[in-house]
Amino acid sequence: MGFLDNSGDIILDAVLTDTGRLRLAKGDGSFKIDKFALGDDEIDYGLYDKNHASGSAYYDLTILQTPVLEAFTNNMSSMKQRLLTVNNNDLLYLPVIKLFTQSGLGSELNANGSFVVPVDKTTVETGFGDFLGGGILNGYRPGNDPARIELQQGLDTNEKPKEEPLEDQLVESQYIVQIDNRLGSIFPAADNAGAGATADGAQLAAASYAYLDDDGIANYYFVAGDAGRGYVGNLRSEEASSILGPRGTKISFRIGASLELRNSQFLFDQMGALGSATITNSATSGNDLVPGTNSYKFIDSTVRISGVSTGFSVDIPLRFVKLGS
Amino acid sequence: MATSFKTINSKDVVSTRNMLHEAIPITGAIISGTYGTFPDENNIKNFSHGMFQTVYDYPYLSSSANHIFDLAVGYANASELSSSANTQNAKKINMYNELAQVLVGFDESSNIRRFDEDGDLTGGTKINEAYFINFTRLLMKDEIKKGSFTLSLGVNQNYAGAMDSTLSITDKSGSTGFKVNSPAGEYGILYATGSATSPSGGVDGLGYAPAGLLYYQAGIAVITASVFGTILGTPVETTLNLVPMNGTLTGSSISGACDVFRHRINNIQFNNTTELNSTVYFCRANHNDFNYSSNPTYLSASKMVVKNNSTDSPVSYTTTVGLYSADNELLAVAKLSEPLKKDPSTEFTLRVRLDY
Repeated sequence: MGFLDNSGDIILDAVLTDTGRLRLAKGDGSFKIDKFALGDDEIDYGLYDKNHASGSAYYDLTILQTPVLEAFTNNMSSMKQRLLTVNNNDLLYLPVIKLFTQSGLGSELNANGSFVVPVDKTTVETGFGDFLGGGILNGYRPGNDPARIELQQGLDTNEKPKEEPLEDQLVESQYIVQIDNRLGSIFPAADNAGAGATADGAQLAAASYAYLDDDGIANYYFVAGDAGRGYVGNLRSEEASSILGPRGTKISFRIGASLELRNSQFLFDQMGALGSATITNSATSGNDLVPGTNSYKFIDSTVRISGVSTGFSVDIPLRFVKLGS
Repeated sequence: MATSFKTINSKDVVSTRNMLHEAIPITGAIISGTYGTFPDENNIKNFSHGMFQTVYDYPYLSSSANHIFDLAVGYANASELSSSANTQNAKKINMYNELAQVLVGFDESSNIRRFDEDGDLTGGTKINEAYFINFTRLLMKDEIKKGSFTLSLGVNQNYAGAMDSTLSITDKSGSTGFKVNSPAGEYGILYATGSATSPSGGVDGLGYAPAGLLYYQAGIAVITASVFGTILGTPVETTLNLVPMNGTLTGSSISGACDVFRHRINNIQFNNTTELNSTVYFCRANHNDFNYSSNPTYLSASKMVVKNNSTDSPVSYTTTVGLYSADNELLAVAKLSEPLKKDPSTEFTLRVRLDY
């Protein structure tokens, strides 16, 4: 008689993240574990060999040998990808979140491969000549220019028609946007320039973040159908889109520079660098930021957009720029 | 609705409490002799206030040095040794009183109680002169394990061959016979035994003589000065001038008396205790849970790379468990040692333990 397999019950020692320690130290009851998720950050599913000649026992041989790192205590560095529960085992496709990059429609990256955010009036007007082209987000007056960041969700495959509805349980209805609050904040976007401003030209207010973690990362929640600002909406089949197949929702927003970036060089000196490459402005010729002519400093960062229910996340590169040497 | 989180119910959480013990051996060579010439070793720190002496496990100017314990001596105002002619008489009384008021407390008239030989504060023999060993939190952690303490003292009469005859001081009754009438927690009676003990020094039939008190949670050993005197057949000499050991209590400074006491410590051994409170979260992955992944490598053009057909079973590989707050903030992380396969034919429960 053999021994029973007791491998189904595994004891793991957990470490508190820096945010966990912060909440514990507050002593205000905010440290309360309410849910769990499983992650697979180290796994490269490209190593899954579903056509291995020796049979199915060999499909995941390489994956199961993947070395696993010790836990990171930085809350932003762990659990970047989560496992999903979907009540259908017969799915062959899963939705992705993808940057809408179609040229001329407002959400493409700048030629330097990131979204450029001029942080103050001088950089916008003197550096870029007041009219900002694709991939340049007006960090001084976020509602004044058409550029925005738009991400779309759906099945990015041409094996299914875009008119086919996306299965209900795969439609993302809630997004988390994470951005370094020292650098910028999230503002509403709309399809047209000026739609981020009221009739009298005043700017719409920035979104309110849900919480700020111990590293100064602001976490924003945007839900489909949220009142007023239209951050999240349905992605219709007739819309221009980067998603090739069935579509779910989209999220769009702009980024405003923080007061500190607008009024001080401190953070640029501390974590930035002096620009050495030209930043082109596709809106008007001759209004590029050219090192030597328009010396500028920049800080590279990212904004992370994650689907709450589907767990998919995308990091969008940002470059905050400010004239001055 | 697809989801990547699973709620932890109250039935999935349990709190446990464990006591961890470590053996702490302190050899006499570290205390005296290894790091310089006695009594001026580099791991011994004396202070201008002269109230106590600090012992490190390495020369204390090094950042690698750990503070392991402090030594002090003192006597009660009522002690026969107390005299204004003594060196540092007031400081020795102050040191005794400070420790007595913390460890023994006050009587009904708010007078400081003296250390009692058998722990019965209503009467009996008092410990009026004592050596104090204050162990640091680094060594004793939450408390000294009851019944584990041994202090070996060299009590040969001759100073140069101090360790030729030793006295073993233990809390032999600590695990079952500890006292709880101290304001500083539990304490046990220390007993001395050894061939040098004198039948006339209060030694019981088994060869044990009361030799002090050990405060487990406070981490302080109070050693009666009689371990060098009345409980021995031949009282101990101090230095080459052959004065009795207890003569240092009156004629030497506190640090000087600590030096000669330190010279006679042969070995200290005890187990410390760490009280570990844990919360265990039972993270249950049922057959239909967590079979897909949001890992970008999971898809190629939105198609799962682990499936050829839609009827194939989905599969995922877990390496990490994240514990989240209600607002989805990651509060704790646990890692598996190797990827764990999950598909609709498997279920598992991961017990994630968070220690406090």
